Amino acid sequence: MSTDGPKIQRLSAEQRDNLVAYLDGELDEPNAQEIERILARNPVARNDVEMLMRTWELLDNLPRAAATEEFTQKTLSTLKAIDVTEPITEKPWFDKVRRGAIVAGWLGGLALSALLGFLVTNQFIPNETRQLVNDLPVIENLHKYVEADNITFLEQLRLGGDFNQPRDR
Amino acid sequence: MQAYLRDPHVQLMLRAKDGDESAFTDLVMAYQDRLIAVFTHILGDQDAAQDLTQDVFLRVYRARNGYQPTAKFSTWLFRIANNLASNSRRMKSRRKEVPLEPKESDSTAARPGLHVVAEKSGLMPSRIAASAELREVIRGALETLNERQKLAVLLNKFEEMSYEDIGETMELSSAAVKSLLARAREVLRDKLEQYVR
Repeated sequence: MSTDGPKIQRLSAEQRDNLVAYLDGELDEPNAQEIERILARNPVARNDVEMLMRTWELLDNLPRAAATEEFTQKTLSTLKAIDVTEPITEKPWFDKVRRGAIVAGWLGGLALSALLGFLVTNQFIPNETRQLVNDLPVIENLHKYVEADNITFLEQLRLGGDFNQPRDR
Repeated sequence: MQAYLRDPHVQLMLRAKDGDESAFTDLVMAYQDRLIAVFTHILGDQDAAQDLTQDVFLRVYRARNGYQPTAKFSTWLFRIANNLASNSRRMKSRRKEVPLEPKESDSTAARPGLHVVAEKSGLMPSRIAASAELREVIRGALETLNERQKLAVLLNKFEEMSYEDIGETMELSSAAVKSLLARAREVLRDKLEQYVR
C-alpha cells in the first residue's frame, strides 16, 4: 500500500486487478486505455505501478534450482527400467495388435458360424433336389417299367440285350 | 487441437508415444530444471522437488500411449505437476508432518521470519541489495503467499505463462487468475517495497 504521494483517488478493486494485468500485457484495449488515463492523472496509481514493477523485478534475485547430472541419469535409467518391466499391455504396439485380433476374432467367428449353419441344415433338413437326383435313373426309365409286367420279364430283356438298342421314337 | 500440434514439445511427446525414446529424453532435458525450480519454491526443499519432478516424468512416460494433445505440452505437464504437488501436500498434512508452507488463510499475515531477517541485518535496504540476505527476504515474502497465489506467481514469472495458460494449468478461469495474481503481487509489494526504495 503506497503511503507517499498525494492521496488523490483510491483505485477500485477491479482497477487494481487491471493495473497488474496491464503490467502483464493481459488487458484488452479499452481497459488498457482506461488504465493509461488513470495513470496519467493519478500519482498514487503511478506510484502503485512503479512499486508493483520494482517488487516484481526483485523476484529475479531468487535462486533457480537445477537438476544435477545424477538426477538426469537416474531419471533416464528409471524410464528404461520401466520399459523392461512394462507389461505387454503397455507397449505402444499393443493397442493396434489388440484391435486387429478383435477384428480377426469376429471374422473367424462369423465364418465358423456360417460353416456350422451350413452343415447342420445340410444334415437334418430334407433336400428335394437331392431326392430327385437319386431317383433320376428310375424316372428316366419309367416308361419301360410301366410297359413291363414284372421284374423277371425285365431281367430277361436286359440279358437279351434289348436295352442296348436305341428306342424307337 | 491443430494449434497445439505446432508446439514442438507436443511433437516430441507424439514421437515418444510412437516409441521414440530419444524424444522423451529431449523432453526430460527441456523440462527437468523448470520443474525442479518451481517445485523447490513450492515445497521449500530441493530433494523433495527432485523426487516430485521424477514422479512427474514417470507419470507422463507411463501415460504416453494414451496421449492426445489438447493443450500446449508445458501447460499439460505443469497441470500434472500441480496435481502431484497437491497430492503430496495432502499426504504430508495427513501424516501431520511439519508444514512447509503457511496456511492459506495466513496469506496476508505478517511473517515473523521476514521481519527478523530485516531486523537482524541491521542494514539499509540499499546495502543488502543483491545479497544472500535479500534473497532470503524475497523468499520469505514468497512464502507469505498461499499455495495457489505462489504457483500462479511462479508460472507467470518464471515460466512466462499467459493468464490463459495458467488458468489451464490450475484449472481456473482467466479472470480468476487475474484476480489471484493481482492479490499476490500486492502482497509481494507490501512485503518488499521497503527494499526497492
